[in-house]
Amino acid sequence: MTRTAISQETGVISKSGPSDEGLDLIFRPRSVAVLGVTNTPGTVPFDMFINVLIGRFNGTVYPVAPRKRHIAGVRAYDYVLDIPDPVDLAVLVFPGRVCEMALKQCGEKGIRAAVIISAGFREIGAEGAAREERIKAIAAEYGMRLIGPNCLGVINTEPDICLNASFARAMPAEGNIAFLSQSGALCTAVLDYAQGKDIGFSKFVSLGNKADVSEIDLLKFLATDPQTSVILLYLEEIRRGKELIEIARQVTGEIEHPKPILAIKGGRTAAGAAAAQSHTGALAASEIVCNAVFEQAGVIRCDSIEEMFDTGQLLAYQPLPVGNRIAIVTNAGGPGVMATDAAVERGLELATFAPETTARLKRPLPPTANLNNPIDLIGDARDDRYAAALEAVLDDPNVDQVLVILTPQSMTNIEGIAQAVCDVHTRCRQAGKPLVCSFMGAKDVVPGIQLLQRHGIPHYILPEWACDAMRDVMKYRSWLDRERTEIKWYDVDREAVASIINDAPEGYITEVEALRILGAYGFPLVDYELTQTAAEAVAAAERVGYPVVLRVVAPKVIHKFEMKGVILNLHDAAEVRNAYAAMRDNLLKHLNQEDIRGILVRKMIPAGKEVILGVSRDPVFGHVVMFGLGGIYVEAFKDVTFRLVPIRELTATDMVGELRTSAVLRGLRGEAPSDIASIADTLKRLSQLAADFPQIAELDINPLIVHPAGEGCHVADVRIRLGNG
Amino acid sequence: MAEEDTLERVVKVTARVLDLDPETIQPNSNFVFDLGAESVQSVELVAAFEEEFGIEMDEDAALAVETVEGAAEFIARHLSK
Repeated sequence: MTRTAISQETGVISKSGPSDEGLDLIFRPRSVAVLGVTNTPGTVPFDMFINVLIGRFNGTVYPVAPRKRHIAGVRAYDYVLDIPDPVDLAVLVFPGRVCEMALKQCGEKGIRAAVIISAGFREIGAEGAAREERIKAIAAEYGMRLIGPNCLGVINTEPDICLNASFARAMPAEGNIAFLSQSGALCTAVLDYAQGKDIGFSKFVSLGNKADVSEIDLLKFLATDPQTSVILLYLEEIRRGKELIEIARQVTGEIEHPKPILAIKGGRTAAGAAAAQSHTGALAASEIVCNAVFEQAGVIRCDSIEEMFDTGQLLAYQPLPVGNRIAIVTNAGGPGVMATDAAVERGLELATFAPETTARLKRPLPPTANLNNPIDLIGDARDDRYAAALEAVLDDPNVDQVLVILTPQSMTNIEGIAQAVCDVHTRCRQAGKPLVCSFMGAKDVVPGIQLLQRHGIPHYILPEWACDAMRDVMKYRSWLDRERTEIKWYDVDREAVASIINDAPEGYITEVEALRILGAYGFPLVDYELTQTAAEAVAAAERVGYPVVLRVVAPKVIHKFEMKGVILNLHDAAEVRNAYAAMRDNLLKHLNQEDIRGILVRKMIPAGKEVILGVSRDPVFGHVVMFGLGGIYVEAFKDVTFRLVPIRELTATDMVGELRTSAVLRGLRGEAPSDIASIADTLKRLSQLAADFPQIAELDINPLIVHPAGEGCHVADVRIRLGNG
Repeated sequence: MAEEDTLERVVKVTARVLDLDPETIQPNSNFVFDLGAESVQSVELVAAFEEEFGIEMDEDAALAVETVEGAAEFIARHLSK
């Protein structure tokens, strides 16, 4: 088998050659030592050891339990160094304060993989953080990979491994879903939940404090894990956001056998919002950025465990659909209508059956049945009608996916119908058509639901939830099918920008400096000149051409309009002269002479649609570019979209198209469409500028005035803040 | 010496609580790592030391002591107050 590998140096996944990032010993050890085992049932150290035993680990287990002869009938050792055989994996359940000594002995023993279950590290404060640094140093010294500390452990259900190195209550069933969680407590809840739904796992990992192994390492490992086809992720803290997104993008779409990733991201701080001063910064501090970057990596973001498993099991157990045309088969009209509404609202399409399908349905179904989609088998339907309808829609080339709905009437043979669904399941898989069910109810339908779940047929209490999962799966299908484009790098004057930025102090730079930066990167600017006297202003206006606008250049003036530092639409020399004097007199009431760097004379930009483009530095993911409909209401409407930089060719066009109000740019009520291509071009230049100059903390172009298609766009105002904050 | 006497008594109490041969307990033995004290036994040890020496110790501080000689020094400091 060709395995996909990831370069340890670049983090880039390549198409050949194995790479396990040193994690193979954690998941596939031949021998395991559990350090710190006790003889007290009900405690983590004892239960942990017993779990390895009763999980039927296919290797040798050694309890290390000082001064105890045996644990659960297994000969115990005082120290790991006393074990006469080589050990692949150490699992530490000693109290945190003695883990250092234990880990050091593991290193001396030649053990290259460890899981530290124990708490008492970074999560307890400074003393614990220092202890965590020390165990990191020990692991590094001995070339050891380390999961935890402060975690539930790891589970690998591969039949020839069967490793339950955790203190979860039970070993989960074998499956093809990998679950990674930063919360140990959530792990146990998820295991119980999954057990109740007959959902199996390939790997189950509690990440804990992530002293060494992080979700990034595990994604690289799972990319090559033949047992795993879907990855579920629960994260609270992301430390290397940009790297995570790059690896996730490769796993979900670029490797030989891509694997969907579903993620819940909890506990995102709003601290960044308070510090932001620009429109972009204020908007970027919201959850929107996290959503956008996950989307940019093909990661399906979920809000709950339920939603995660709803979509996860559909991806894990059913084939990926080729299209969004669904057939609904139901014994109840109302739920059929509700399901139809839900499907259409979620971007699915109700299949139009081929004439042969409708003809086939006529014979087995009663005259009152609805033979069109949704197929209503009528309330008294039994398994024979379901079987006939399912066979017919499965053969229909216009059907990509099937949703079966059941409501329990007195004559409904629930288990028989469930069996009929199970009987066609194999054919569905062969045809590449996902099959999902909604047996509506909570009591009588349970045996039927259990039968479906045992056969790997996803079941949803409500048809709407089934449609949610189908929508998410279609989203992944679209991600895989998307057109791949490259990052466009323009020929720009990088040195000119470097000289401005390197000489400037932290904080906002002047408008003239900002315009020079944009000019060096080929942004669409109108002619401008900085002037110091009314005579210079008139001369400049003659050169740039009337009408002109005057704009004060003064670092202390953030909101120019409020300070009357902008005067628009001046048509001749007299108007320029008068406006210049009026502006200067007014400004000198608020500012000292030395605060005013001059007055900018700029050619007036013709009217057009106002949009906002921006850059912000996200504390987790790095620089993001923003696009939205502009003007002063941008923060109120929040109709904006974000992407990590650098963006690709098509991404820029997608950003423009995905606004709720993008129809405004496409032209409403006979209006000419706006020059969307020029917006996309400007966005790509902005992305390149942010990628080239990490010193840019915030940048707002608000507004960029967009003209009708073919006439381009112009920067009307720009603010740039430099700094690390 | 008083300190030696304290150490001997600490070893004796430790051996009794942890059910060990006193000969196998060294001054630098770590209660958990070397002697296998479980969390409940650590609490029992603190109580046994208090009874043996007729003192009352701060439990958190006492539980933070890791070795036999550390316990002897901790108790000696208490006795000298």
